[in-house]
Amino acid sequence: MLVVENLHAGYGLSEVLDGTSLEVRSGAVVALIGANGAGKTTTMRAISGLVRPSRGRVLLDGAEVQGMEAARIARLGVAHSPEGRKVFGPLSTEDNLLLGAYRHLPRFFGFRARAARDLDRVYELFPRLKERRGQPAGTLSGGEQQMLAIGRALMARPKVMLLDEPSMGLAPVIVQEVFRTIRRLKAEGVTMLLVEQFARSALEVADYAYVMERGRIATEGTPDQLRRDERVLAAYLG
Amino acid sequence: MPLSIYAQMTVSGALIGLIYALIAYGFQLTYATSKSINFGQGELVMVSAFFSLTLVDLGLPYALVVPLGLLFGALLGLAVERAGVRLALEQKSEGWILLTIIIGLFLFSAAENIWGRDDRPFPTPIPSDAFQVLGVDVTPLEVSVAVGVFAVMGLIELLKRGTLLGKAFEAVANDRDAGELMGISATRTVMLSYGLSGAVAALAGILVSPITTVGPTMASALVLKAFSVAVVAGLDSGFGVVLVGMFLGALESLASFQLGSGWREVPGLLLLILALAVRPTGLFGKAVIRKV
Repeated sequence: MLVVENLHAGYGLSEVLDGTSLEVRSGAVVALIGANGAGKTTTMRAISGLVRPSRGRVLLDGAEVQGMEAARIARLGVAHSPEGRKVFGPLSTEDNLLLGAYRHLPRFFGFRARAARDLDRVYELFPRLKERRGQPAGTLSGGEQQMLAIGRALMARPKVMLLDEPSMGLAPVIVQEVFRTIRRLKAEGVTMLLVEQFARSALEVADYAYVMERGRIATEGTPDQLRRDERVLAAYLG
Repeated sequence: MPLSIYAQMTVSGALIGLIYALIAYGFQLTYATSKSINFGQGELVMVSAFFSLTLVDLGLPYALVVPLGLLFGALLGLAVERAGVRLALEQKSEGWILLTIIIGLFLFSAAENIWGRDDRPFPTPIPSDAFQVLGVDVTPLEVSVAVGVFAVMGLIELLKRGTLLGKAFEAVANDRDAGELMGISATRTVMLSYGLSGAVAALAGILVSPITTVGPTMASALVLKAFSVAVVAGLDSGFGVVLVGMFLGALESLASFQLGSGWREVPGLLLLILALAVRPTGLFGKAVIRKV
């Protein structure tokens, strides 16, 4: 599904990614954990095209996508729910969701009817969003905005979903709700790459995990293997 | 009857004000997607008017001249985006300001060399014999200005509000990167807005030419007024530019009638200074809602 090989990327002269490699198989949930500044977010941004990799390859279903415009990678089926949620504040909740489905909706008319089933699915998953459908997204609470960001990514019917720090800045109760949602999406077969500060919770939902340090993958394995790894235990699960 | 003279001045001034509003709307279209405007917009108005005049001289019917003129304007808009704006935006620089001014100067010189420096009349099939509405003389030509401005602005606003593409425009304006993540190409959206803006400029040129004349300097005063209107109304309110444009047009016409034609430009500049001092986001500008 998604393969990252020896990826190098950075901002200006500072190189953040120094040869990252990872793989997300179809239907799997893969967690990417590590300290702040290890390059987790940059990995996601390099996959989705927001940062242009200087070296290395990103393969989606076997085809190279690195170096493409972000919009093109998104249209190929990568839905990136970015750090900080980045909902479109002045637009209504429902418009945000409709834009999530941009890649397979008609541009002018009839897009509402075409999106109806996807919308129902997201509203069923997040009833709160249905209540707030007409409200500007900028006025939603942090938790609601996170649900909107996940819902918006789902609307794309993505091949793979990139979730960057979905629990960031949320109250513990809401964090639990976010992880319940992720578990449910996993059960429905959504392929996900998950970046998380809460390594413990991330390992609970993941099928496989990578630990990042200074722009490279330091360790990898199944959650069970990582939980038994003394170093990982001390550094990230302590 | 002095009162009806004032009414007359107000109405014909307001109609010219609609042209200011239309040009200001062209600024808004590109500002919405890219936070940039074409400082050579006046030259787009002028060159498109000359181009349309040439088509008229070649004997093409008016019904064909208008769409071809709009198409020409749209192509010019696209050229401005490609040559003057895209690279600057990609590098997050303000270079587009200077580049669009330079493209404007280039178009100005080109027009002088191709079409000459003289002002020329623009023949139109729309009659200019006045008829009376509530004691005010109105010409079909002036009515055509109002109809053209409202039809095109209304159509574009409908498309922006009612289509997914319009929402995509707004999304890119709000957050370029997040828009890209939805599969909306920011580059293409900005291109489209410059194309539309160019077509709007061409329409302004075609509508105003029969009333004024066509010449290299025809748009320099217009565009200055349009800029005042855009700033006073706010760069995000299509409704606002129409109101402010008509108000300014009427005010100018009354000022030049009452105080002499030398005073014509004064109200616009006063309005601009006042607006910048009191309400820099514009009278109809939206306060940004942000919650973190």
